[in-house]
Amino acid sequence: MKQKDVKVLVVDDEVAFANTLAQRLKMRDMEVGTAYDGEQALSKLREKTPDVIILDLKMPGMHGMDVLKEIKRGYPHIQVILLTGHGTDRDEEEARRLGGFDFLNKPADIDHLERKIRKAFQEKLERTM
Amino acid sequence: MENENEEDLKALQLRFVGKIIAGFTHEIKNYLAIIKESSGLIGDMIKMGKLSENDVPEYLEIIQSIEDQIGNAIEHFTHLNRFSHRMDTQISAFNLNECIEELIALLNRFARQKKIVLATDFQQDLPPVKSNPSMLQLLVFSFLENKIAGLEKNGRITVRTGAVDNAVAVKIIPEGTFAEGDADAGTTTGKIRENFIKQLGGNISQGAAKETVITLPVHGV
Repeated sequence: MKQKDVKVLVVDDEVAFANTLAQRLKMRDMEVGTAYDGEQALSKLREKTPDVIILDLKMPGMHGMDVLKEIKRGYPHIQVILLTGHGTDRDEEEARRLGGFDFLNKPADIDHLERKIRKAFQEKLERTM
Repeated sequence: MENENEEDLKALQLRFVGKIIAGFTHEIKNYLAIIKESSGLIGDMIKMGKLSENDVPEYLEIIQSIEDQIGNAIEHFTHLNRFSHRMDTQISAFNLNECIEELIALLNRFARQKKIVLATDFQQDLPPVKSNPSMLQLLVFSFLENKIAGLEKNGRITVRTGAVDNAVAVKIIPEGTFAEGDADAGTTTGKIRENFIKQLGGNISQGAAKETVITLPVHGV
């Protein structure tokens, strides 16, 4: 499989942020979708399963940590990278315990984020091989 | 007993200021994150050689988005700055609508997190009020905090202002399902509120459906 095939879902309630980040990732040869809250993200998974999800933590309605739990329960192979503006050490610990792949502070450097996504994708491929 | 009240008051004040700062820094960080990605996107497009005349509208759109975010951030800074300066003098003549609008703007994030809409319904041309605006904001906050905590998601809280004779009124109207009993009555916060409203020379009444009405005399204490 080519690296180009990595499918990403960006989940963030800040619409402008989610869209711009999605656009930047698309320019890096990824297939990118967006969801603006947790419920929307979970319903999108039913249509199409991404390889990697970029997930915000503090969103209206469903909290990112609960979204992470649901993803890991229904789709354990999807890699989840938390991208949050105000994560505490405890959040990070909790996210990793729940099976989150990585925990990044927002705004993250795009090259750094791209590397993390590719690494997450690579590990997913190795695990499912 | 007095000391206990003093302690509770300090705890409420700290919680209030803490909430305002937390909400503020969060909003600003979000605006900056969008600005960072937008300027990054411009960089990406240049590096990719998207430099034809056809690309100009896309560039302009991104630049507009950056300007919008900066505008939002400045508005927030203005609110926070005014909020802080209200504590400079105890009693001053102020515009009630501006005072409430500033408070709502600074607390909006907490309501939004719970999918609760914070709406305002202001009577225009209210007379200026001579009173203690900081104390009023703290008082309104103490009610909003309870109602936001008590309401289930998809609720709504409307803050309405109006004038009657020589008084102005702030009416806080929640709509939706309350998850738990409204803790407004009989708590230590209740005593602090009584003390506040006595100092402001006004009145607090609880209406039907968990509505709260705060009345203040226009000409001060």
